[in-house]
Amino acid sequence: MIIPLEGRWALILGASSGIGRAIATALAQEGANIVGLHFDTGDRAASVAELAGKLRGYGVEAHFENANAASPATRAKLIPRLLELTGGEGVHITVHSLAFGTLVPYLPREPWPASITKRQLEMTVDVMAHSLVYWVQDLHAAELLRPGAKVYALTSAGTVQALPSYGAVSAAKVALEAHVRQLACELAPYRVAVNALRAGVTVTPALQRIPESADFVARGEANNPHGRLTVPEDVAEAVTLLSRTDSSWITGNTIGVDGGELHAAAGAWSRPVPAGHEGGMP
Amino acid sequence: MTEQLSTPTRPLDKEELRALLAQILDVDVAEVTDTAHFVDELEVDSLMALEIAVQLEQTYQVKLGEKETVALKSLDDAYELLSAKLADRVSP
Repeated sequence: MIIPLEGRWALILGASSGIGRAIATALAQEGANIVGLHFDTGDRAASVAELAGKLRGYGVEAHFENANAASPATRAKLIPRLLELTGGEGVHITVHSLAFGTLVPYLPREPWPASITKRQLEMTVDVMAHSLVYWVQDLHAAELLRPGAKVYALTSAGTVQALPSYGAVSAAKVALEAHVRQLACELAPYRVAVNALRAGVTVTPALQRIPESADFVARGEANNPHGRLTVPEDVAEAVTLLSRTDSSWITGNTIGVDGGELHAAAGAWSRPVPAGHEGGMP
Repeated sequence: MTEQLSTPTRPLDKEELRALLAQILDVDVAEVTDTAHFVDELEVDSLMALEIAVQLEQTYQVKLGEKETVALKSLDDAYELLSAKLADRVSP
C-alpha cells in the first residue's frame, strides 16, 4: 500500500552534507521528522544549524547530533533518544550515508607520500560498511524497525571499478552491499526492507576529497547517457519514492540511481542531448 | 540535542585533558604522556583525530580550525592550544 511520509521518522547517518543532506531535506519536505547524525568540527556548525532551521521550516521536527556514527557510544546515546522521540512508532527510514575513509593507494605511487596501513584500511571498512550492521542490530533490538521500515545504504560504482586512491573505500562498498543482502534476508520476517542505492558520479564534498576526482567529474557528464552528472536530489527523490510504501518486497537490491551511467560504455554517449530532452533535474 | 554547547565552560586541567584523550583513544592514561606522538606512538588515524577535535570543542567550548587540528600531535600541543584559546576568550 502506498503511504504518506508525513509524521514518520527518518534517521540519516551522515546528514550534514552531500547526499545525506539532500535526503534529509527531501524527506522533511514530505513531512517526515528528521534525526540527523553528522561528525564535523565547529566550522560546519553554522551550516548544520541552517539545515536544521530549513527542515523545521517545513513544519517537521529536526534533531542533529554531532558524533562519530561508527562509535558504540554514539549508538548507546542515540537509540534511547530515538525511542523517546518516535514514541513507539519506530524509525520508518534509516539512511547510511557515511563518507569517511582513507584515500591512499595500497602500494607506493606518485604523488602519494605513503601507502595504506592496516589501521587505515580497517577504519575505512568499519565506518563505511560494518557500522551499518551495528546500527541495524541496535535499531532492531530496540524494536525501532517496525513492519514497512526501510533501510538504505549509499554505495557507488566503486564496487566494480577501481580508482587510484579508492581501494579502501571500494572494499568498504563491496562489504556494504554484502551486508545489505544479508540484513535484507535476516529482516524479511520482520517485513523490513534493506537496499543499497548506487548513486552515479555526484559532485559532493566526499567526492571532491578524492584526489583524482577532477578528472572523472570532467568526463562524467560525457559518459552519462543522460548527458549530465547525478545530483544529490536525484538520490533524495529515489529514497522518497521507495519509502512511500509499507511493502518490504523490494529488498536486498543494489538499485542504480545514476541515469544509466554504470552500464553506458565510456565515451560512447557524448553526443549532445537533443534540445528539450535534457534529462529532467536539475 | 542539536548543539552540544550545553555543558558549562570547563577550566583547563592537564590531568583531566589526559584522561579525556585516553578515553577517546581507548588507551591507558599512563600511555598518554605529555609528549607521546598521537600518530606515531598512539596510532591515531584520521577518524580518531576528528574525534579528538570534536570532543575538545564540545568539552571546552572552543572552535578548532582545520590547520590547528592537524597540528595537534601530543597532549602538550593540545594543552597549549586550549590554553591559548581559553585565554583569548577571557581577555577583552
